[in-house]
Amino acid sequence: MSIEIKLPEIADNVTTAVVLEVLVKKGDTVKADDVLAEMESDKASFELPSEAAGVVKEVKVSEGQQVKVGEVMFIIDTEAAGSKDEKAEEKTPEKPAEKPEEKKAEEAPKEEPKESAKDEKPQPEAKEEPEQQVSYVSAAHVPASPAVRRLARELGIDITQIKGSGPNERVVEDDVKAFTKKVVQSKASGAGAGVIQDDFQLPDFSKMGEVRREKMDTIRKITAKAMAGSWQNIPHVFQFDKADITELEKFRKDYSKLVEKKGAKLTVTAILLKLSAIALKTHPKFNASIDMKNEVIIYKEFVNIGVAVDTDRGLLVPVIRDVDKKSITDLSLELNELAEKARTKKIKPDELQGANFTISNLGGIGGTNFTPIVNRPAVAILGVSRSQIEPVFIDGEFKPRMILPLSLSYDHRLIDGADGARFLRWLVEAMQNPLLTMF
Amino acid sequence: MADKKQVIVLGAGPGGYAAAFQAANLDLNVTLIDPKPDPGGVCLFHGCIPTKALLHLAAVKDESEKAADWGLTFSGVKVDIDKVRSWKQSVVKQLTGGLGQLAKARKVEYLQGMAKLTGTNSLEFTSVEGDKKEIAFENLILATGATASSLPGISFDEQIMNAEIALELKDVPKRLLIVGAGYIGLEMSVIYKSLGSEITIAEFTSDILPGLDQDLRDVFKKERRDLIQNTMFNTKVVNVEKKGKKLEVEFETQDGKKKESFDKILVAIGGKPNTKNIGLEEVGVETDERGFVKVDLVRRTNVKNIYAIGDISGQPMLAHKASHEGRVAAEHIAGHKTAYEPKAIPAVVFTDPEIAWTGITEAEAKEQGKKVEVAKFPWAASGRAVTLGLKNGLTKLIIDPENDRILGAGFVGKEAGSMVGEATLAIEMAAVARDLELTIHPHPTLSETIMEAAEVYFGHATHIHKKKKK
Repeated sequence: MSIEIKLPEIADNVTTAVVLEVLVKKGDTVKADDVLAEMESDKASFELPSEAAGVVKEVKVSEGQQVKVGEVMFIIDTEAAGSKDEKAEEKTPEKPAEKPEEKKAEEAPKEEPKESAKDEKPQPEAKEEPEQQVSYVSAAHVPASPAVRRLARELGIDITQIKGSGPNERVVEDDVKAFTKKVVQSKASGAGAGVIQDDFQLPDFSKMGEVRREKMDTIRKITAKAMAGSWQNIPHVFQFDKADITELEKFRKDYSKLVEKKGAKLTVTAILLKLSAIALKTHPKFNASIDMKNEVIIYKEFVNIGVAVDTDRGLLVPVIRDVDKKSITDLSLELNELAEKARTKKIKPDELQGANFTISNLGGIGGTNFTPIVNRPAVAILGVSRSQIEPVFIDGEFKPRMILPLSLSYDHRLIDGADGARFLRWLVEAMQNPLLTMF
Repeated sequence: MADKKQVIVLGAGPGGYAAAFQAANLDLNVTLIDPKPDPGGVCLFHGCIPTKALLHLAAVKDESEKAADWGLTFSGVKVDIDKVRSWKQSVVKQLTGGLGQLAKARKVEYLQGMAKLTGTNSLEFTSVEGDKKEIAFENLILATGATASSLPGISFDEQIMNAEIALELKDVPKRLLIVGAGYIGLEMSVIYKSLGSEITIAEFTSDILPGLDQDLRDVFKKERRDLIQNTMFNTKVVNVEKKGKKLEVEFETQDGKKKESFDKILVAIGGKPNTKNIGLEEVGVETDERGFVKVDLVRRTNVKNIYAIGDISGQPMLAHKASHEGRVAAEHIAGHKTAYEPKAIPAVVFTDPEIAWTGITEAEAKEQGKKVEVAKFPWAASGRAVTLGLKNGLTKLIIDPENDRILGAGFVGKEAGSMVGEATLAIEMAAVARDLELTIHPHPTLSETIMEAAEVYFGHATHIHKKKKK
């Protein structure tokens, strides 16, 4: 029996992934869970395992190719190896592979490159008509008349998404038109926000010397879009402060063993995570998002904090969930684990989403201060630079103290200057006198 | 291979010609291929149309006999089989000739002959004269229809007939065995009964029209005792032997084996899709285990420029389903955004009384575990039915109790086939019972029974008194 290995559902909103590396070739013998390919989607890389043992009968993808969820990537002949993998046999039959593709088609009603061109099936020699973006999903179950269903199809609208205004939610022509209008509008505004409209005319660098052109990878593209979107839309304010962490450093060194016993290091970042969580609880605006369309502020009762990690593929921001409910030891362990996953490409897209606030610590590299960009839909980000010994005038004399420069970037649409100063001051005080957090 | 045809339609039945005409309407160049001299296919030449002509004749005759009860007596009612035959042929000629004219008017090229695929863009055409030529195409719509199945080991002839042969009306056999109590078997039994044959029906299952709701069957059986009393259910024909001019038939019934002698046999046990010998295997067009071509929502096969519609693309094997599919395929070729997605496909048995249904049946709802409510209006309470001298008749609506939506409908009685259209429209429009109840229906007509059935659903029909529900 042959089984098809398809690109699985990776996470919500992730519909495609790029093949980074194909690790097997036709004729290779694989075991169940052997890695067939390395993939990169949205913000994370992951490995595509074989669902069964067998021999690779067909490799349907190549490196650099974009693959849709549900698309067949490999065909494994499970009999060739004389192996039986019941789990895989149960799993494979007729997964509705078409569905995600269909959805895709509807989202992009304009001509997409002919996908079917790659089909191995016999093609008509000269079919000039463009491959239309028809939804191949039946809408027969939708309470709407045939004419209304046809209209939706012609407009490229997924009628199943529409809640009808007729008796018992019957979808009428006006519903389809109203829905279409909404889709068009949201697309128009969405496009402006997410895409960088950079029409800067580049000079011909090759006239100046040798150049090398490299295609942006997924992470670069996403970062570029997200950062440009944030910068264009968020009126940033930057607040700076300094924390005297002499005592905190002493404590960190003295009690590091508590965490080391469990297998991680006690770092300033871990301590900052915990203190930030308390700060976010006591300053709920910093744990909020704004919905400008509806002019609403959304306060979140959970505290998820992202930590920027430098990897050889670029910046990744794993998210630690419910930070307020975890101990510093647990946070140290989790931080360690997530950072490792990010660096070894094992992190899942889910683990990179949903941060209410971010900490970016560049202290390991150096620098006196920097101004990070707020990552939407969060409203603030904390920048941490390198601590160093500075003379501080205490009780009539200069004393050497360990000083940590901090910067806070925030969204002025929601947070005013005084709030920003207060928040950062609160964090500084908390680092200097942790007992204060108990009040 | 000089010129390449934009669209070729293989088979000119109701699916094929509808596809060809629609493609022509959409400014495509169309070639229609069929062995008959004019479009029409099985339906027009030896199916729907000739049977309906003969059933009309049967209805007139039966009604004239019933009229004696109402004080109207005809004398000397006689069947002239030769005249009946030529009338039937004139009906067929008129309609198929008309289709030929329509094809010409639309500039559809009509090639009389057969064809077989030789590639994904070419086929070999064999004319009725036997000349062969290769024709290239951009798009192909397969509409080759179905062929009546026979009993194992038995081929059709003048005496062991399929519907096509039986409709030639060579003579009126004295004793006629009809194998199969599906819609063709029942319609043919009504025709031959009216022409004067003594009818016996042998049905393999335990009832008429397998899959149909019992209450609809019961009305028919009550009205047609003359046919039902000579029907053997749970009966299998195990052997047929020619003995002189007679056929000796051996049956296997629940009570054991028995033999009977007949003059002729009509086999009506369903059909098989014509998917063999047209080159599907050669070009890799996929079929399923029952021989139907696999198609997608626009009736496209796995070969992207080849479509399949009608009897070869799956059940139900009905002309109106084929026509609809044909138009969808043609529209898709023309670049329209279209889909074959009916909520309901009506079916009609043109017997007297007629039986018609659409959408989900009660039996199907039960099978799917779907909760439904059934509202029935017996025709005894219909003024129109009484004026027509009808005693039995039934209109039923199958309704989703969660949202009052009409999911299915069934009718048995005169003109049932004309009423099922309204119910199908209601289902397609996602109408609720209230819509049918609040639509003024003309009085006195049988169509009122639809409105009154909807009233029954709400517990207060005008012409039925029932205690209020809830």
